[in-house]
Amino acid sequence: MSDEEAQKPLTDLLAPASIRLDAVAADRDDAIRQAGAALIEAGAVDPSYVDAMVEREYSVSTYVGEGVAIPHGTLAGKDAVTDDAIVVLRFPAGVDWGGNVVSVAVGIAAKGNGHIALLSQLATVLLDPEKAAALRDATSADAVYELLASDEDDE
Amino acid sequence: MTTLDGSSVKKLIVACDAGMGSSVMLASTLKKQLAKNGVTVEHSPVAHIPSDADVVVTQAGLADRARHVVPDIPVVPFQLFLGDPAVAKVVKAIQDGSTVEV
Repeated sequence: MSDEEAQKPLTDLLAPASIRLDAVAADRDDAIRQAGAALIEAGAVDPSYVDAMVEREYSVSTYVGEGVAIPHGTLAGKDAVTDDAIVVLRFPAGVDWGGNVVSVAVGIAAKGNGHIALLSQLATVLLDPEKAAALRDATSADAVYELLASDEDDE
Repeated sequence: MTTLDGSSVKKLIVACDAGMGSSVMLASTLKKQLAKNGVTVEHSPVAHIPSDADVVVTQAGLADRARHVVPDIPVVPFQLFLGDPAVAKVVKAIQDGSTVEV
């Protein structure tokens, strides 16, 4: 798989309407379904993808550290993906994620490789405790964009 | 346990279920860490791990499937996507050209 394919502009991949900074979820499944609903609203997936996201979480957790999880479907659910898209849901009260507390869920739908630069940048943010805290505490979409915009020295 | 010779690693594969999320993040991080060592880092669905890989890292829950797909290639299971000690050991062995038990 090549990472050199054209990368979508950040605001195409992560639409302003797909950034929800004051979400509340009863539990992990609820949080994943909200991320799935946001992906449906973004026009990126069919409803069946949401079930694939929930199932995937039962087989392997998508908790990645620093209070962040990246729920997404499996290879089997990939047919339900019509476009690359990312959604960011912030849960200020936290969600119990199999023993970890998740403050930010980054929902992913990927048909191609258009999302790789953004995920790469997310990894960079999470490896920097200060930036990770800034993401957990983000109160504006601009703050989220600023953190997730690719570094120029990425390559 | 298998002994992995870090100096012989030219291609590292991060394997996961969908190649959509977590493996992509880890692969991009490892790519940066290993850029100076001339190592190719790619992500791949576990069912499609390329046979010319020198080492495979994958989530613990997928390690058995990975070993089934590529029985002759060392598979390193990890628990954490970021900062996992098993992955850190492999990175260090490659950077130092030393050996590590995996």
